[in-house]
Amino acid sequence: MSFDAPIKAIGEKDLVAPKSTFKSITEAVSRVTENPAPKGWWIAFLTAFSFTGVLLGSIGYLFWRGVGVWGNNSPVAWAWDITNFVWWVGIGHAGTLISAVLFLFRQKWRTSINRFAEAMTIFAVICALIFPGIHVGRIWHAYYLAPIPNQMGIWPNFKSPLLWDVFAVSTYFTVSLLFWFVGLVPDLATLRDRAKNSLRRMVYGFLALGWRGSNRHWQNYERAYMILAALSTPLVLSVHSVVSFDFATSVEPGWHTTIFPPYFVAGAVFSGFAMVMTLLLIARSVFKLTDLVTMTHVELMNKIMLATGSLVGYAYAMEFFVAWYSGNEYERYVFINRATGPYAWAYWIMITCNVISPQLFWSKRLRTNIPLSFVVSIFINIGMWFERFVIIVTSLHRDFIPSSWGYFHPTLIDITTYMGSLGLFFTLFLLFLRWVPMIAIAELKSILPEADPHFGEHHDEAHEGDSHGEPALATSAEGH
Amino acid sequence: MTHRKPYEFEGPAPDAAVYWTSLDDFTLQQSSDPAARDHLAEEIPRTALDFSDGVSRRGFMTLMGAAVALATLEGCRRPVDKIMPYARMPEDVAVNVTSYYATVIDRRGESLGLLVESHEGRPTKIEGNPDHSASHGKTDLLAQAAVLDLYDPDRARQPSTRGEDKRYADAEAALQTVLQAQAANGGGGLRVLAQPTNSPTFVRLRQAVLRRFPNARFHTWSAASTSNDREGAKLAFGQVVLPVLSLERARVIVSLDSDFLQTETGAVRNTRGFAMGRRPGEEMSRLYVVEPSYTITGANADHRLRLAAREVELYLQALAGQLVRAHSLDLGEISAAVRNAQAPQGVPAKWVEAVASDLAAHRGGSALVVGSRQPATVHALAHAINQALGNAGQTVRYIAPADRDEVDHGTDIAALAEAMGAGQVQALVILGGNPVYDAPGDLAFGEKLGRVPASFVLSSHRDETAERATWHIPRAHELEAWGDGQSLDGTVSIQQPLIQPLFQGRSEIEILALLADAPSPRGHDLVQETHRGAGVPAVIFNRAWRRALNRGVHVEAPNNPALPSIQGGAVAQRMAQRQAGSPIGRSNLEVNFLVDAKVLDGRHANNAWLQELPDPVTKITWDNAAYVSPATAEALSIGNGDMIRLTKGSRSVELVAWILPGQADWSIGLSLGWGRTKAGRVGNRKGFDVTPLRSAGALWFTDGVALTKTGATYPLSQTQDHFRMEGRPMAVEATLAEFSETPNFAARRSPTPRTLPLWREVDYSTGYRWGMTIDLATCTGCNTCVVACQSENNIPVVGKEQVSRGREMHWLRIDRYFVSPKSHGSDRDVEATSDPAVAFQPLACVQCEEAPCENVCPVNATVHSPEGLNDMSYNRCIGTRYCANNCPYKVRRFNYLNWHNDGVYQPEDADVPETVRMQMNPNVTVRFRGVMEKCTYCVQRIQGRKIEARRADNGRGRHIRDGELMTACQQACPADAIVFGDLNDRESRIAHLHRDDRRYALLGEIGTQPRTLYLAKIRNPNPEMLG
Repeated sequence: MSFDAPIKAIGEKDLVAPKSTFKSITEAVSRVTENPAPKGWWIAFLTAFSFTGVLLGSIGYLFWRGVGVWGNNSPVAWAWDITNFVWWVGIGHAGTLISAVLFLFRQKWRTSINRFAEAMTIFAVICALIFPGIHVGRIWHAYYLAPIPNQMGIWPNFKSPLLWDVFAVSTYFTVSLLFWFVGLVPDLATLRDRAKNSLRRMVYGFLALGWRGSNRHWQNYERAYMILAALSTPLVLSVHSVVSFDFATSVEPGWHTTIFPPYFVAGAVFSGFAMVMTLLLIARSVFKLTDLVTMTHVELMNKIMLATGSLVGYAYAMEFFVAWYSGNEYERYVFINRATGPYAWAYWIMITCNVISPQLFWSKRLRTNIPLSFVVSIFINIGMWFERFVIIVTSLHRDFIPSSWGYFHPTLIDITTYMGSLGLFFTLFLLFLRWVPMIAIAELKSILPEADPHFGEHHDEAHEGDSHGEPALATSAEGH
Repeated sequence: MTHRKPYEFEGPAPDAAVYWTSLDDFTLQQSSDPAARDHLAEEIPRTALDFSDGVSRRGFMTLMGAAVALATLEGCRRPVDKIMPYARMPEDVAVNVTSYYATVIDRRGESLGLLVESHEGRPTKIEGNPDHSASHGKTDLLAQAAVLDLYDPDRARQPSTRGEDKRYADAEAALQTVLQAQAANGGGGLRVLAQPTNSPTFVRLRQAVLRRFPNARFHTWSAASTSNDREGAKLAFGQVVLPVLSLERARVIVSLDSDFLQTETGAVRNTRGFAMGRRPGEEMSRLYVVEPSYTITGANADHRLRLAAREVELYLQALAGQLVRAHSLDLGEISAAVRNAQAPQGVPAKWVEAVASDLAAHRGGSALVVGSRQPATVHALAHAINQALGNAGQTVRYIAPADRDEVDHGTDIAALAEAMGAGQVQALVILGGNPVYDAPGDLAFGEKLGRVPASFVLSSHRDETAERATWHIPRAHELEAWGDGQSLDGTVSIQQPLIQPLFQGRSEIEILALLADAPSPRGHDLVQETHRGAGVPAVIFNRAWRRALNRGVHVEAPNNPALPSIQGGAVAQRMAQRQAGSPIGRSNLEVNFLVDAKVLDGRHANNAWLQELPDPVTKITWDNAAYVSPATAEALSIGNGDMIRLTKGSRSVELVAWILPGQADWSIGLSLGWGRTKAGRVGNRKGFDVTPLRSAGALWFTDGVALTKTGATYPLSQTQDHFRMEGRPMAVEATLAEFSETPNFAARRSPTPRTLPLWREVDYSTGYRWGMTIDLATCTGCNTCVVACQSENNIPVVGKEQVSRGREMHWLRIDRYFVSPKSHGSDRDVEATSDPAVAFQPLACVQCEEAPCENVCPVNATVHSPEGLNDMSYNRCIGTRYCANNCPYKVRRFNYLNWHNDGVYQPEDADVPETVRMQMNPNVTVRFRGVMEKCTYCVQRIQGRKIEARRADNGRGRHIRDGELMTACQQACPADAIVFGDLNDRESRIAHLHRDDRRYALLGEIGTQPRTLYLAKIRNPNPEMLG
């Protein structure tokens, strides 16, 4: 029985445009890296690059003067710095989820977007890793976090969730990078083979690790990819669970909750998909990839966002319920204060963006509307940033002892650091679009009809006629 | 908290080369005795350097690679300063050995006995002198801050004329020229304006000056004048005596506009007595306060009546009338005058009836205390009532001050100003003080000073007065100069300098000596001359002198001073002259001039510690404000931070309004001493000068003031924004009756949870186990401990803008909560917020045994000591601030910027000014930016005492005894509300208090097991006043 058998009954759609061939796919993806960059790319790149400069400037100023250039204070000792960190890590979730989890579940539709999502993961995690690094007061001693033998005989404190975080995020980054790179090898070989000048040939040749496309290569490749996918899958859950431990293991009301690990993971997937959607819709229109990234993909992703958005909304409600049910006055106050206190505006932005806006996707008409999908994805990106802001800042600003209550005002440097991190992200992403196949060529080919060894054979009544000469369809593990 | 072994490299191989440092070392290493080798290993951790064997190439590369990569981060460290040891050791100085010297400092007419800590000749910290009756080892907040005044980098460094720097000899020559000219007519054109004094030497020299210049005149002025006390005594007794309170003996205290716990003369003495009387139990005293603005005293009241200042007198008359009528108190000729007196409108009848019966029930054990803001008649009437109730001699005694010739300051300065205006003053010598800034606004003193041909000003800074004078001479700080002082109770002490004058300063008596042409102008000789006494042999005097310096007390207080008798007729006559003014209201506002708790009358305006210190009641830093009651604010539609203009006749001031619960309606409270223009870098343009509204005839309050809003707003920085407790058990309190019924009421509200520990619990049963209690029943909220902590622990000042960002660094803060009579009033509810009570709660790190901060620190920078302290190792801290987030008490403070370099003296000084560095406690690390810090229980003091105790008994060593070791806050606290000690010593005071009924652990239900426990506040309301 074939996995690739379509289920017409539930209305599955084509995963690539009809009449796509091996050649057309190779051509469509590779030409982006070979042709001169379009004007739009240059505008976007220079803009993003100048924001990267702003980031470097802000960080330089931060190092020169101290953390006080931000608005952090007592009691709000963490604010935008850690908000940005968690936000970026969350965004970095979709990549691995799409690549690894959907791969293991044989969700073939992932092939059009997985490269994209993985790249986004890498860059988002790079942006995320900046913040814990620069938010410390004495950056020149940040290496104390690493377990390096030293003459003082002092190790890091393995009880601290912050240390777990260092390990969790760096592991995640390493595995994601490996996974991404392994997946890239056949495609880099394709670019090498198409290279018209020796520099390209040398660079891509080096990166392609001597790939010749032999049967043995493919076998090893598939196996390695499968193992890495299996390794990455628990990381999807672990990274954001560990990030949530930063909060969940503390004593702060509003942080000290057991719901955090699943709630953070759901939120991360939610925000990751939103960011993939944002980037995908831009790239799709700029580089005219409508044949490869079809409405089916958009719709499926919107469905995931609807599901995770509802999960997140459920978590928000559950937090309130548990706070009330616990009978703990501090816990209760934190949640009442979130919704009605000085930060109510942030809370309601969060609710509007994260809970209400994805509900539009119950309607098929709306979830297949490209401009609307784009707008909602932006909303979710904003909403998820506010979710982290609400968790961090509103919990801290009014905790146990009323005399210590305060309010947080961001400074200009807070804003430039955040905008700068977006600049860095887009700089890296635009470079990726220009120099690396942004869609997994080899994988995408695997879902073409030509990839089916039995292509053209009559073997099943149900498939009669329809599947001839047509691309594979969205699939389900229960194929008959 | 971690129980792990340090990383160890493998030992050297048996055949490895031997590294040795001495012959003994070599023999030991070759020794086959393992014990000896172990000993060596402890002595020289040699293996850490030994790579000759046991480390593989790969391991080496791994380590070196990581080390090199991470070492590059070390590139941006701060520069290293070199220190110089003594090339030749001075006599009497032992490096790193602290010495203490006894001296006195003047506090608004009280001479406070001090012990000043000195390191290598630098005074660094001020403590009270336990042998001195005014301080009993305690201090007030201004005394704590005085050491920073000494090191103020903005002090004048040399004499000047018209802004031009001169040598001291030039100034003296100029003064001599003027004096010679004046000698011709007996000093007819010579005037001296001095501050009030309690120095016998000053009084002696003044007489000497007047002998030389019989026609010269001395004037006295202080913006924080206590003339009313003297005038009241003169009126009541016909002689100059001042009341000294023994509040520990009082069961009922009625304060009439008197802030006797904070700003009035003798606050340290009063706080001590008051706190002794506040021990919960049968003998607990009860405090009634009648005042217009919330003061620390009002905040400690069991019953507080907010009343416009001008109505306090009417209230006292009504109270006297009630005592006469209902309790047949005999006030002599005054009885008739007050018999039918009516309380001012709006004062509840029980405030007259119940207070009178409480007073009558405690004859001989009550006290009426009148503030120096109230006119002489109020003082006189209170004296009469105290005498009639038999309190005189019991709770109130009367002592003649050192200077009996002082006249009313308002009259005196007005007379001087008039003479200056009339051109009768050819030469004016101003000894201390800053009259151009603080003389009443109607005198135009500054302008008139410009018309005096020769004026000499002795003041610490080139201030507003110095700017207008012909000559300015730097004034020596009290810690730099010889002097003497008589305390309120008659104790006479010598003021002993701790250090040579830093900036060629001279003291008042040295200038007076020039005026008097005394044989020696040196302060030391002048003071000795005063106390030598006729006919006393030098040997005996020198011994007495050394003893006086050593102990800090020269003449003991008289035991049973004579009781003066009341001159009822004069009092009654003066009371009859009182004119009833028109009632105050919207168009006829009253303004009150309040002595500021922090800058007094402006003289401490350039003290950064005091500027940053939150006002004890409003918690405003770096500014003053016009206090307006909630009802008045609503009627005039004023909001917090609105700029208002107050106009009286042709004079007006503009300042920011602040709605203060507990303020009397239609009465506005204005703090003196702000808005300086020539105070220095710290104090310039901080707050608003209200002196222009003041007049010589009405120094303390006046009505007929109109208020208009200017439409502008002004930002204020507070350290505490939220003033309700939200029903949470923070500062837990009960009434005396409730306490007798349920003694452990406080612990019930935050019980320690019974849960299994997450990891092995530490056994603290051996060695020391430090703990602290803070008694909320006796804590008055005066802020002394906050400054003491700042001074002891090198705590930086961050400035107004950073305070508004919430980055103040005080390790110890005093939380102040308003307690509304209505339980569910909202902030907007005028009725609920008009008349709240106040609860204070000092809060520093409570040293949790299960500290949430320790678990979350990723680098082990905050860890537990075996004695139970939660230690900060600054060198290890990288500043993730996670500990601060996870601290439920929010007592951790982070160096967001390099406060010492980015501080209040910048940009003029790129670094900490040289003199300010001299103040730093050498036993406490000065923290760099990016480091977390917090209360350490004064760990440097603990270690210091431990070293001493270990060396004690001829090196045999012993435990630290209870009471030998005090934290800075504990030592300073005039109420003795803070107790610290070893909990393992079952007989120690702290161990007893940790078992006290009133104890409770703040937020104990989280399971933090704090070592600092609170003793719940007990109020003692009069049942007759309730309901």
